[in-house]
Amino acid sequence: MFDFDLTMPLMAVQFLLLTALLNAVFYKPLTKVLDERDAFIRGSQSSAKDNLAKAESLVEEYERQIALARKESQSVVEKAQAEAREIVSQKTAEAQSAAIAQKEKAAQEIQQQKESALSTLEQQVDSLSRQILEKILGAELVK
Amino acid sequence: MLSSFTILNSFTLAELEVGEHFLWKIGNSTVHGQVFLMSWIVIGVLLIASLAATRNAQTIPGGIQNFMEYALEFIRDLTRNQLGEKEYRPWVPFVGTLFLFIFVSNWGGALIPWKLIKLPSGELAAPTNDINTTVALALLTSLAYFYAGFRKKGLGYFKKYIEPTPILLPIAILEDFTKPLSLSFRLFGNILADELVVAVLVLLVPLFVPLPVMALGLFTSAIQALVFATLAGAYIHEALEGHGEEEH
Repeated sequence: MFDFDLTMPLMAVQFLLLTALLNAVFYKPLTKVLDERDAFIRGSQSSAKDNLAKAESLVEEYERQIALARKESQSVVEKAQAEAREIVSQKTAEAQSAAIAQKEKAAQEIQQQKESALSTLEQQVDSLSRQILEKILGAELVK
Repeated sequence: MLSSFTILNSFTLAELEVGEHFLWKIGNSTVHGQVFLMSWIVIGVLLIASLAATRNAQTIPGGIQNFMEYALEFIRDLTRNQLGEKEYRPWVPFVGTLFLFIFVSNWGGALIPWKLIKLPSGELAAPTNDINTTVALALLTSLAYFYAGFRKKGLGYFKKYIEPTPILLPIAILEDFTKPLSLSFRLFGNILADELVVAVLVLLVPLFVPLPVMALGLFTSAIQALVFATLAGAYIHEALEGHGEEEH
């Protein structure tokens, strides 16, 4: 069972040869493949990270723009509303003043007509009262 | 050893022949042919799998490349856990080849009924159930960690023997002998014992009963490969760091 002979050194040499051979056909090429894949994965990972950061900054930029546009639109709406309110109040005031002027004019006219009517009425009252007097007292007495 | 039992079984998938070898003569000495045949099969499997995985390497892996990448990442993690992020890269091939060679040897020996292939003497089995193989691997591990220590610190590497106190010098020296000894005998004993238990059970009850033990054997085989590679990594790490600064 423990019979040592030339098998041992030959086996050692053979093992070293196997190590050298496997180093050439197995360890080196496959390690290279693994390292290259690692590098590739790391590269694509970092570029993906870059892309992600770029996309995030774009999103931020767009959100900023959206917020800006929203603010602008809000201010436009507010301005328009204020203008509309001003126009409304202006028109209302104009209409009111026009109405008041018309009312005054109408009142003046009424007053005028009333006065003229009253004056004609007075004349008529005069003549009528004279006629009544004449009728009652007779024409000679009236003069 | 127990070959008289095999007479009872007309059909044998496993036979116990511990200590019998298919000897080849090289000059004055001999080598264990069955160990080399099996180790060539293991090496062939590893090389073919590697070539198939890397022949047409894609950024998005599929099939065998995916599997071998999984194996490589497992080995890299194992080495990194032992040696630390800074030092592990140059040691991945050594520790990884230890793991792959032992693992494929163990499983190849356990999963494939090699008994169907007749050899003039001895039998095909996992190369790791021969003490020569395990001692070779363990001595290479020792050389590796000495090499690691000397390359990192030069002769200052010897300071670790008298630090923190020279009283421990004999134990520190003894450690350099016990490390390869325990490494080689652990692996050798586990694999040989596993194959023996399975063989004995197959001789006694050829059907179904050995299956749980075989499953256990597969588990042990994988664990032993992991233990060998992990300990090799730990020893190299120890040589790189030195005794005094083990706690980071």
